[in-house]
Amino acid sequence: MSGDAAVATAIFGGFMVLTVALGLLAVRGHGRTTGLAEWSVGGRSLGTVFIWVLMAGEGYTSFSYLGAAGWGYNFGAPVLYVIAYMSCGYAIGYVVGPTLWSYARRHGLVTITDMVAHRYGRPWLGTVVAVLATVCLLPYIQLQITGMGVVVSTISYGAISLNWAYFIAFAVTTGFVVVSGLRGSAWVSVLKDVLVIATLGFLAIYVPLHYFDGYGPFLDRLVAEKPDWLTFTGHGGSGMGGSWFVTTSFLNSLTVVIFPTTVAGYLGARNADALRRNAMLLPFYNVLLFVPMLLGMAAIFVVPGLTGAGSNLALFKLVVDSLPAWAVGVIGVAAALSSIVPMAVFMLVIGTMWGRSVLGAVPRLAGRPDRQKTAAQVVVVASGALALVLTYTEPNTLVRLSLISYEGMAQLVPMILLGLVWRRLTLWGAVSGLAVGGALVCALVFTEHDPVGGVNAGALALAVNVLVALAVSLWGPRPTASDAARSDDEVLARDPGPEWVVVSGEG
Amino acid sequence: MLKKRPHLLWLLAPYGLHLVALPLVDRLRPTVLGLPFLFFWILVATLLTPAAVFLAWRGDRKRGRA
Repeated sequence: MSGDAAVATAIFGGFMVLTVALGLLAVRGHGRTTGLAEWSVGGRSLGTVFIWVLMAGEGYTSFSYLGAAGWGYNFGAPVLYVIAYMSCGYAIGYVVGPTLWSYARRHGLVTITDMVAHRYGRPWLGTVVAVLATVCLLPYIQLQITGMGVVVSTISYGAISLNWAYFIAFAVTTGFVVVSGLRGSAWVSVLKDVLVIATLGFLAIYVPLHYFDGYGPFLDRLVAEKPDWLTFTGHGGSGMGGSWFVTTSFLNSLTVVIFPTTVAGYLGARNADALRRNAMLLPFYNVLLFVPMLLGMAAIFVVPGLTGAGSNLALFKLVVDSLPAWAVGVIGVAAALSSIVPMAVFMLVIGTMWGRSVLGAVPRLAGRPDRQKTAAQVVVVASGALALVLTYTEPNTLVRLSLISYEGMAQLVPMILLGLVWRRLTLWGAVSGLAVGGALVCALVFTEHDPVGGVNAGALALAVNVLVALAVSLWGPRPTASDAARSDDEVLARDPGPEWVVVSGEG
Repeated sequence: MLKKRPHLLWLLAPYGLHLVALPLVDRLRPTVLGLPFLFFWILVATLLTPAAVFLAWRGDRKRGRA
């Protein structure tokens, strides 16, 4: 091992130990509380700051370091969709967050699958949604594992092999999330956000100065030499034009607010006002996303000729090339934590959904939150291990699945968002819409018709999904007598509104 | 809900800035502070998003006190 490799690896190793320790410390004083709600949603006790840190931590994944820079490098402007959908999604989270939060709190729910089960009065529907959502989430765990793998292997100057780096990603994440759940993830997010903000702030200034004598010359050169990177359709006829950008950003902005990991953050909040303040503060974090995008485009000049997966390393090639080993180590830690935090929440959410909606149906576990928690913790380890094993043995299976992840999850939007505010959406309406929308996404994506006619395939499927859901609700089977007998208060969710803040001021 | 809380319409402003305005701003020039116009616009929209949410929040605060 060279001197540089030893320094960077030592820094990385030290921070990984710190990460697990911090995650475990989080349960101090809360360890006696058993039950699923403490572990899954932090006992619904997190204030504005922790919610901000956690949700920023979830949103800023290894994609931000690797994919955003890689897209910037390969295509240019289309990558801006990430910023657009996050801004829009965070804004409507102002209403959606408190709505879901109050619904879950009123009825003692801990994840989207038991919200669905409660809304439609059918536990089996929660089970179905849990299985579908797991299929969509597993690829994300793998993306974080492989993302962390390439970063760790790069910043250790090759001293840590890819396979070991994958394992470290799994071990560190499992190491704290099994014990400390959402609260531990929030604590680790604090470390992560400090490092991410500091290192990206530094890189934003340093890289243009180091390679181009500052922003002026860098941007002038970019505008003069690479104009086709700087507007839609972007470089290389990627098929991602203006209509693709608008439909994708719109679709994702709706999906992100019901994404199971986002909802876990919502439900962790102490009160609705923490979520409203968060909706105001969170969009500021998006400014940071410009950094990897611009630096990805800077890499076009500095390290030309990266192709395929190599382009994902556009940012890290600059880092390793221009900085001393200790700085490379610290930046690598920030990127690694950007894999670990989202991965922890993904695993936590899968565990919660299964503990509650799948295994919770087993008679021995029904109505026993303490046993459901144990079951959930077992599922956390199992899902992480499954993603790890698939990364080693069948990497392409999950890559193919990841293509439908977001667009597939989007098909839950009518069932959840529309269903929770509109009583006349029936069980069979919601189920038919989901089935047709989901099938259409798979058909279009796996036959490589995404985008289709310049439009995001998931957005098209969502439109069909809504139409089918409406048609079946209005003209399909009538609700059963017992369904019709439930009161609106029991079935529907609503934003508790600002007055509520005053009432609950002491809570 | 919108009848009682019309200020929530501010939450749609980010959609207007990022998506509806796109055909008008999908251009390279004029560059602003060196930034290509499209990137400059999205940066402005990103910074205005918290402001829009603030306006919704302020509306709620006024109602909460009333």
